[in-house]
Amino acid sequence: MKELLFSALLLVAGVPAFATPPDTAAVRIPPAARRVERPWYRPAHLALQTGGGLGMVAAGAGYEFSKTHLETDILIGYVPKYYAGSTLSLASLKFMYSPFHLPVGDKFQVVPLTVGAYFSYTHGTINDELKGQYASDYYWFSTDTRYGPLLGSRVTFLAPPVAATGQPRKISLYYELGSNDLYLASYLNNRNGGLGFGQLLTLALGIKADF
Amino acid sequence: MLFLPNLRRWRHVLPGIALLGLAGCNLIEFSPNDHRVPEEFTNLTEKNLAKLQARPLAPGDSLRFIFTGDSQQFYDEAEALVASVNQQPGISFLVLAGDISDFGLAREMQWMDEKLRRLTVPYVTVIGNHDLVGNGRPTYQHIFGAFNYSFVYGNTKFIMVDTNGREYNFDGTAPDMAWLKPQLANFDGARRQVVISHVPPTNDDFDPALRTPYVQALHEAPNLVFEMNGHNHSYSITQPYNDGVTYVNSDAFSERRYLVVTVWGDKQFRIKRVKF
Repeated sequence: MKELLFSALLLVAGVPAFATPPDTAAVRIPPAARRVERPWYRPAHLALQTGGGLGMVAAGAGYEFSKTHLETDILIGYVPKYYAGSTLSLASLKFMYSPFHLPVGDKFQVVPLTVGAYFSYTHGTINDELKGQYASDYYWFSTDTRYGPLLGSRVTFLAPPVAATGQPRKISLYYELGSNDLYLASYLNNRNGGLGFGQLLTLALGIKADF
Repeated sequence: MLFLPNLRRWRHVLPGIALLGLAGCNLIEFSPNDHRVPEEFTNLTEKNLAKLQARPLAPGDSLRFIFTGDSQQFYDEAEALVASVNQQPGISFLVLAGDISDFGLAREMQWMDEKLRRLTVPYVTVIGNHDLVGNGRPTYQHIFGAFNYSFVYGNTKFIMVDTNGREYNFDGTAPDMAWLKPQLANFDGARRQVVISHVPPTNDDFDPALRTPYVQALHEAPNLVFEMNGHNHSYSITQPYNDGVTYVNSDAFSERRYLVVTVWGDKQFRIKRVKF
């Protein structure tokens, strides 16, 4: 029954993606012929995440380079007033490098390590610096601009390709541990263990759909 | 149905993920500017004042408290300070004169509280300019409480007031004179008064339009022992306006010094500087 369903799905999808081609129907249209060339600006995936200092929800799109080992995501995040005293919107840019992609069976892939960095700009903070409010070096940091490192991993489900275009599809669940420049500065200013490394960490959980 | 075998394979992993998820709740930070913290780190002023009132001073005893300021980012020093203060006899509480945080962030305030809650005595704070950076206003309010408040302990009325004028672009709201004047006019059952704020009126960060009214109001206060500040990171005890009002500035955590302040009688006091 399951086999049947799976075959049916492959038929619908029109591509013999994973199993050895079970019948002629599935290979009637060669995938290469159906695959549409991507315009350069078309994102490789959409992403949705929570946390990581980039929003209660952050959504956006991303691009892949170097055979999916390098990625960059652009996210727009939102934090409701209830949690921050003012409604915050965040624009973030993430760069990630994933050296290994490990296949787990036919339909799954594990990316055990993703390292990267992010940069974010927050709009809507209450005491945003006004012109002339402070001498130029009054505060040595920005209240709006944050950057920091990321470390994470992900599990990817390899879905059947898009029927119309033959583009491969993936759905990935990911987590990222990160920190930011302010927390790291606090840590580095307390060399006698005043802060534990764990106190600096933030966690992001997200989902990514390649299409 | 199609995915059932996969789900089964994940069955043993899922509880582990759920557990990680629970532990991760506090790690999931929406923004460094969000102020979500566990309940135990909220309303700290109210909680600490309740602890203080639960250990009243015996009638006739001198009041002794620790005065310090500007703990921002000095977590190593905070540990040493706590160890030192816990050795001092006869202390009722500790006053931290603002700049608890460096960037007005909830985590910084929580980190400092995690150190200071190891004191054997309660502590109270007044808001500093660094606590007002970014979304520090709602954050301080959520974690500590009101910017302007007063309390009576051991025959002394403590009036804690936000004097961080520059953070409000000198708009005439800080210090809130409409709040301060009636506070100074009323003893609330105490016999003397102490005013505590972060930015001293002698500083450029004090609203220049309110300097004279503030100094005048303190001068007219019925029985003011002294006015105490942080912000300068350097100890001083002066009468800058030659009007009989004493201004005490604290050492910051960075200077690894604090003040032991003893108050008795009508408005007599002694200040001892302690290195830690």
